[in-house]
Amino acid sequence: MSTAVETMQREFLAIVGPSNVVSDPAACAALNADGKVPQCIVYPTSAEEAAAALRCAAELGLAVIPCRNGTKLGVGNPPRRYDVALSLKDMNHVWHYEPDDLTVTVEPGMKFGDFQHFVGRQGLWLPLDPPGGARASLSGIVATNAAGPLRLFYGAPRDMVLGMKIATVEGKVVKTGGRVVKNVAGYDIAKLLIGSYGTLGVIVETSFKLFPLPAERKTFVIPAGTLGIARDLRRRVLHSALTPLRMVLLDARAAELTLAGTPLERSVKEPEIWLEMAGSARVMERCHREVEGLAKAAGAPFQRLTSDDAETVWTRIADLQSWLPARSAGVVILKALLPDSASEELLSRAEQETENDKARLAGFVQLGVGVLHLCLLYEATTPAVSGLILRLRAAAESLGGVLIIERCHWDLKERLDAWGTAGDDFAVMKKIKEVWDPKGTLSPGRFLGRL
Amino acid sequence: MKPRPLVRELTRLVGPDAVLWRPEDVMLYEYDGLSVTAPPDVVVFPSATEHVVEIVKLAAREGVPIVARGAGTGLSGGSVAAEGGIVVGFARMKKIIEIDIENLRARVQPGVVNMDLTLAVSDQGCYFAPDPSSQKACTIGGNVSENAGGPHTLAYGVTTNHILGLEVVLPDGEVIHAGARFWDRPGYDLTGFIVGSEGTLGIVTEITARLSRKPEAVKTLLAIYDDILDAPGTVAAITARRITPAALEMMDGFTLRAVEEAFHAGFPMDSAAVLLIEVEGLREAVEDNADQIEAICRENHARDVRRAKTVEERDLLWRGRKNAFGALGRISPNYYVQDGVIPRTRLPEMLQFIAQVSERHQLRIGNIFHAGDGNLHPLLMFDARDKGQAVRVTKAAQEIMAKCVEMGGSLTGEHGIGIEKRDLMPLIFSPDDLEAMRNLKAVFNPTGSLNPAKLLPSTKMCGETRVQASTGGVL
Repeated sequence: MSTAVETMQREFLAIVGPSNVVSDPAACAALNADGKVPQCIVYPTSAEEAAAALRCAAELGLAVIPCRNGTKLGVGNPPRRYDVALSLKDMNHVWHYEPDDLTVTVEPGMKFGDFQHFVGRQGLWLPLDPPGGARASLSGIVATNAAGPLRLFYGAPRDMVLGMKIATVEGKVVKTGGRVVKNVAGYDIAKLLIGSYGTLGVIVETSFKLFPLPAERKTFVIPAGTLGIARDLRRRVLHSALTPLRMVLLDARAAELTLAGTPLERSVKEPEIWLEMAGSARVMERCHREVEGLAKAAGAPFQRLTSDDAETVWTRIADLQSWLPARSAGVVILKALLPDSASEELLSRAEQETENDKARLAGFVQLGVGVLHLCLLYEATTPAVSGLILRLRAAAESLGGVLIIERCHWDLKERLDAWGTAGDDFAVMKKIKEVWDPKGTLSPGRFLGRL
Repeated sequence: MKPRPLVRELTRLVGPDAVLWRPEDVMLYEYDGLSVTAPPDVVVFPSATEHVVEIVKLAAREGVPIVARGAGTGLSGGSVAAEGGIVVGFARMKKIIEIDIENLRARVQPGVVNMDLTLAVSDQGCYFAPDPSSQKACTIGGNVSENAGGPHTLAYGVTTNHILGLEVVLPDGEVIHAGARFWDRPGYDLTGFIVGSEGTLGIVTEITARLSRKPEAVKTLLAIYDDILDAPGTVAAITARRITPAALEMMDGFTLRAVEEAFHAGFPMDSAAVLLIEVEGLREAVEDNADQIEAICRENHARDVRRAKTVEERDLLWRGRKNAFGALGRISPNYYVQDGVIPRTRLPEMLQFIAQVSERHQLRIGNIFHAGDGNLHPLLMFDARDKGQAVRVTKAAQEIMAKCVEMGGSLTGEHGIGIEKRDLMPLIFSPDDLEAMRNLKAVFNPTGSLNPAKLLPSTKMCGETRVQASTGGVL
């Protein structure tokens, strides 16, 4: 072991104690980012320890990636350097919980599933269905602004965070916002941290706005025949009085893969729209009538599902990143963000592009949100794929959107930028990065423009 | 009187009819909704982003402060030229550039009046959700700067939840485009950071906003109470039953009587408090919710629960609520409105505290709350000509603020820090927190020439700002 590594471990030991610095090779390998493995994992148990560890790393010139379960470690460009994984696993305290105020302040190392269970006892939830699902941590969800189809009705973490504390590479703990539901005091620094993928600071405490769990939920499935019919249905539903909680369009392959292994397994031959509604029995009855009417008008039959089976499917749709790779080892997951109206068009262009390339495409569209997951089901990485990705990116851009590579083998990332081209606001972003992280301690190279 | 060189330069840039510089003209721009004044040296009205760029570059060359201004309805001094200089008025940049109903987006210039956007999309079944009480006058540019709220933010969120992208002119004349027409463009969320930055980071010249679909049904309830504490009790009970109304507003008896005398909205003259409650959504859901809420109100000793039967009745109730500040202005020479926030479960305790403050300082205080989200607007009545009263108002206001902080709340829910509360910031933020804010401000506005003396605590001596508390030292 090199002297530098020994120094580093000694320093961290002094901050978090011997049992909270781990250099076991298997544990480190599990937290690799694009093949780069950290030398050790540091587990702070408080905001102050996290800040001290960061300062120490910065002083030693080390590179740190903050993480918890690693559900999003594959997202972004490959790190330029990676010495230490800073894991928030041991930061699970609930500092304030006021169910009747619908607010909670927690250390964000808590797993999302545990958190939902905790607040669910009082009939509350954080209405998110992020990638990573129950295994994701609150910190990861906030740092990546991870939202799923529920965004249609409820918004994203950016709309639910009331305030936070951030550990900085200077060794400080900085507070922004507060824990009341309405607050405009001072700059909203939390907005910069939400979706910053751990490149500015480490989120060590978060206050959330909570929401009442809906009384009853029902899922409706409408086979759409063609993408044209799907577009028509989307317009009809989103322009009706109905307020779906979430609504997705799955192409035939996406639908079939999603249903495989669930009680609803079947073969699927056409694109399907899935939508979920909430409300009392009376409201559900009305929704049923409306959806039936809209489907008929668009020339499509429909069916209603019981909530138990549907929930399994929704979880799989929202967290496709966790099970798709098991189906095809070389899977490439692309995420397009674009105006909602162009969703079907991009999916259709992707179908044309992949037909020529003999790739297998599965398309998942979050309707009303403007998020499209295009999954290329390769068994192994082929050189041809980078050309295909660039063509799909060009297609997304020509429709007024962008395309992010959310998952692919890391050797592809040497040739492609995971985030795409930066805009005229990049100079400001770069300055912000320099202010918060002048030495490039935090996740160097991973973010937009390889910040 | 001859115009100064700065004025001549501005005239050359935007034309003589777009520059005001005579003292009697600029005087109209020396104040906003807060009771402090500071005259600008010159007011200029650009009609395009390119104008703003040139104005900003000129200000930078001359080392002159520059302040953006919408309709001047702000309540924390955000658009007041605290150190003089150039006020950039957006009265001529009020074009709705694009409406895209399918994607629920609108692209507007900052001078567009909040209500005008809603009116423009209304016949297509849409509206712009943030609804500050001043929505008939205030501009979307101002809403963005202050992250404005309003009664219906309880269910739909404040301005920041409805803004996707911004075109911004930085103090060096650089133009950036933050965000996009869709959510989550890769990179730091500069849009989210700039919304609510009170015009201290850049001058917003174009806004991409999210539109919302009008609900199918709306029901407005008025619950009337003989004991003021039953009103916040009802708020807690509604929240505890996990019902989220679209709006949940409270007015006390004192305020009600003033409103009723001014507007004849149908509020009971003899009650201790009312709640104005609105539920929206599918017809069936609205009926269910309204029935549940009415039952909760009655369980909490409401003397009566009325429902608006017509659109006119509903509008009248809301007109009373949204013009309540004005109504109180009729009965007192001056008033000072606050904007504290507390956890909503502590409303009863806060009301009792405010009553004590009122008695201790011999001041009449009207209570208008966005009760559903714990956002308080106590209005402290006084006569500025009486120095003693003005001093007592300042003291009382500070006590209420300190109580909000003690309860784990905030100094401002929707009006902003501005000039008004900048020196109270250390009550809720540590020196490290404030330093982090200063460092980020410096990224955008390194010389501090853009909207100086706002949001962050003063580091300069008093003599360096022009601010005058025109109402006798209330601050």
